[in-house]
Amino acid sequence: MKDHLQMKAGLLLSVLGITAMLCMGGRGVFAEDSASAGKASEDIAAAGKKFLASLDDTQRGKVVFDFKDAAQRKRWSNLPTGIVHRAGLRMGDLTKAQRDAVLAVLAAALSPQGYEKVIEIMDADETLKKSGGNNPMFGRDEYYVSFLGQPSTTDPWMIQFGGHHLGLNITLAGEHGTLTPSHTGVQPSIYELEGKTIRPLGRETDKAFALLSSLDDAQRKQAILGFQMHDLVLGPGRDGETIQPEGIKGSDLTEKQREMLLDLASEWTGIMNEAAAKAKMDELKEHVTDTWFAWSGPTEKGAAAYFRVQGPTVIIEYAPQRLGGDATKHIHTIYRDPTNEYGAKWWKS
Amino acid sequence: VVEIVTSLVRHLPRLLVFLAFAPAVFAHRLDEYLQATLVAIEPEGIRLEINLTPGVAVADKVLALIDSDRDGTISTNEATAYAELLKRDLSVQLDQHTVGLKLAAFNFPSESELRTGVGIIQLEYSIIAGSYPGGAHRLTIADRHLPALSVYLFNAALPKSASVQITAQKRNENQSLGEIEFTLNRPANSPKEFGIIASLIALPVVVVAAMVNSKSVKKA
Repeated sequence: MKDHLQMKAGLLLSVLGITAMLCMGGRGVFAEDSASAGKASEDIAAAGKKFLASLDDTQRGKVVFDFKDAAQRKRWSNLPTGIVHRAGLRMGDLTKAQRDAVLAVLAAALSPQGYEKVIEIMDADETLKKSGGNNPMFGRDEYYVSFLGQPSTTDPWMIQFGGHHLGLNITLAGEHGTLTPSHTGVQPSIYELEGKTIRPLGRETDKAFALLSSLDDAQRKQAILGFQMHDLVLGPGRDGETIQPEGIKGSDLTEKQREMLLDLASEWTGIMNEAAAKAKMDELKEHVTDTWFAWSGPTEKGAAAYFRVQGPTVIIEYAPQRLGGDATKHIHTIYRDPTNEYGAKWWKS
Repeated sequence: VVEIVTSLVRHLPRLLVFLAFAPAVFAHRLDEYLQATLVAIEPEGIRLEINLTPGVAVADKVLALIDSDRDGTISTNEATAYAELLKRDLSVQLDQHTVGLKLAAFNFPSESELRTGVGIIQLEYSIIAGSYPGGAHRLTIADRHLPALSVYLFNAALPKSASVQITAQKRNENQSLGEIEFTLNRPANSPKEFGIIASLIALPVVVVAAMVNSKSVKKA
């Protein structure tokens, strides 16, 4: 009996000890994450304030909306600004210093590769403009910036930046940050600039084909949908909607394939700064066995095919567009979190 | 294909103007009528939400069915008539029995917006409004509206209620025909059923008590 009690006490002490060690060790990791998130939050707010300070009163009146302005929050699209009007300030109407200040806000809020992707999407639109007889509907000038709320490290606020093929909705709330819902797209999907070949959405395209080709016949049978997908299901304008997942479930993938799936998703989650991207990726890893991968269309590398990644807290769709040209040259994508659109869980009571 | 070509030829002048800014064409839907259907299945009922986006080259054909008086605007009556017309082109079966649809809501953008290829007509129909039996069900929806012009998306919405589970979704190749298999698990004594049962038990007790009370009053 005494031995039994001693054993129990020993076990209890061991459990307490391990728990304490984990907590202390964990605290180090969490403290690091928190510090990184805090620093990002400070940097973004500082860049936001610097941009506002570069404006005159009229411009400030145009660019800042109430944080609770639901109409402005939803005012984003895949379409050119000449077709779907955006509010805020147009890049083409700003001075060079002001445009640089906007880009500095984006550089602070996004990762280096996320920022690069955004710039390349805008460069693609400039290419589209030049190839189409300088159509005023397109080009780098046709992107708009707006804030909902004031830059802050404590109160929620939002940065919107977008135009043709770009709808970034960056919600910040203290140390939290999210990009959902956001749209990225490109046309042309490949172009030459200053002697370099640019593919703004090239990595996501290649990673998706690599994941598909890693599937065996039985897995492909699950992943490949037996019908055509002509567009995004949950594109711009479909806030608050979620669909039944389809394709192959993460639990039916190998460990290596699950890593490839997460790596593919990181092309969207990783657009945000490192701290926010890591928090989101940790969440995706937690749910990876409940995350689905679906494919529709040809399977030859580089062909125009649709794919979807869908888990409890993420929906990503990639849809080549057949709007009168080569569908591989014109891509639309959407990135959503059905549980936290516009960061609502951090600010909506 | 013949219809699309005929339509393109008929609207050649407008298309030529449009093609003056060639890349603009590629920014929006051209020769397709996108019909995107979302089926919301919940314990309280089943709804059909359809988003319709006519491409630039087919907008005239669609508008000819909507703007019947050709005055350039879409009246409420015209919108309702078109929603009813589309309803007739939908056939819905629940567990192999044909079910009727009821128009629940609609939203039509302006005619000019529809002509640009970005306007979206939103229609909502109720398939079942209210409670229906638990267990396994199969819902089949066939969309035969303007098949020569249309491309389709068909999806079950992720149910908000945990008591509904989508067990399978099937479509034909172009998604004009969709089938959803689902189960509805109704608790044996859901609050509503419990209320009805409690009322049925309580009723005789109340009646007897009232009779006893009445006799007591008479005696007094």
